[in-house]
Amino acid sequence: MENLYCTIFIVDTSLNPDEAETVSSRIQQLVEDHGGIIRKINRWGKKRLAYPVRNNSHGFYVEIEFTANSRLNIPKIIEAEYRLNDRVLRYLTYIVSKKELIQREKNAGKRAARQEQEEALANKLTVAEPETAPAEEKAETVTAEEEKTVPEKEETEKVPETPSAEHETEQEVKKEESLEESGVEEEPEKSPEEPESGETGEEEKSST
Amino acid sequence: MLQRKKRMCRFCEGGDIYIDFRDEKRLVRFLTEQGKIVPRRTSGNCNQHQRQLANAIKRARHLALIPFVSDIPR
Repeated sequence: MENLYCTIFIVDTSLNPDEAETVSSRIQQLVEDHGGIIRKINRWGKKRLAYPVRNNSHGFYVEIEFTANSRLNIPKIIEAEYRLNDRVLRYLTYIVSKKELIQREKNAGKRAARQEQEEALANKLTVAEPETAPAEEKAETVTAEEEKTVPEKEETEKVPETPSAEHETEQEVKKEESLEESGVEEEPEKSPEEPESGETGEEEKSST
Repeated sequence: MLQRKKRMCRFCEGGDIYIDFRDEKRLVRFLTEQGKIVPRRTSGNCNQHQRQLANAIKRARHLALIPFVSDIPR
């Protein structure tokens, strides 16, 4: 039975950066010699490993897809090669299922749709840019006017507040003086603590 | 009293037939902080997709795309 195989392997390129190419060419040769047909070679590049493998933090990922008859037993041959090679850190060979192929087609369709959408958006943006630019300017001017008007209001509001607050404090001070005088004269032992605490609280509020 | 929303299988909602082990970002969502596979009762996946997901995670682990164990919480 004709199968589509996918093999992925990680090569240690710390000593020799060309090691990945030599290994992948060797695998391709093996596949073709034994009657397989290479469909796709995908180099993921140097990636960080999720955990150290033989004290390596990085590895070069290569993915090769090929079709072959299941009687040829190519995966067995390839994996023997992987095991012999010390530079190959990890390998995975599996038969690509029909479901995966269908899913790939779906994803490709989705990607194409997305690209189309993005392109359409880009076209719209290029058309809309001159229209939006003046609108933004208008918005800026509006905000500037608002900013101008707002501080005036604040000032007008503030003006009556400050004198009244001052008056209050003055009045309170007068009250305090009168209360202290009266308290000291009438009840020197109990009363002075309570009114003082209350008045100090009011003072703090008014000051803030 | 506690009424939890019944979670739908995310892969069924997306209409995915096959879960690819290559996109680790998607798989990481179904791992705990320690790197364990999240059970179906919490992830809400259906039977078929949970099985596929488990296989995908195991393949990704073998290829060092996903950690087997990660003690440091992200």
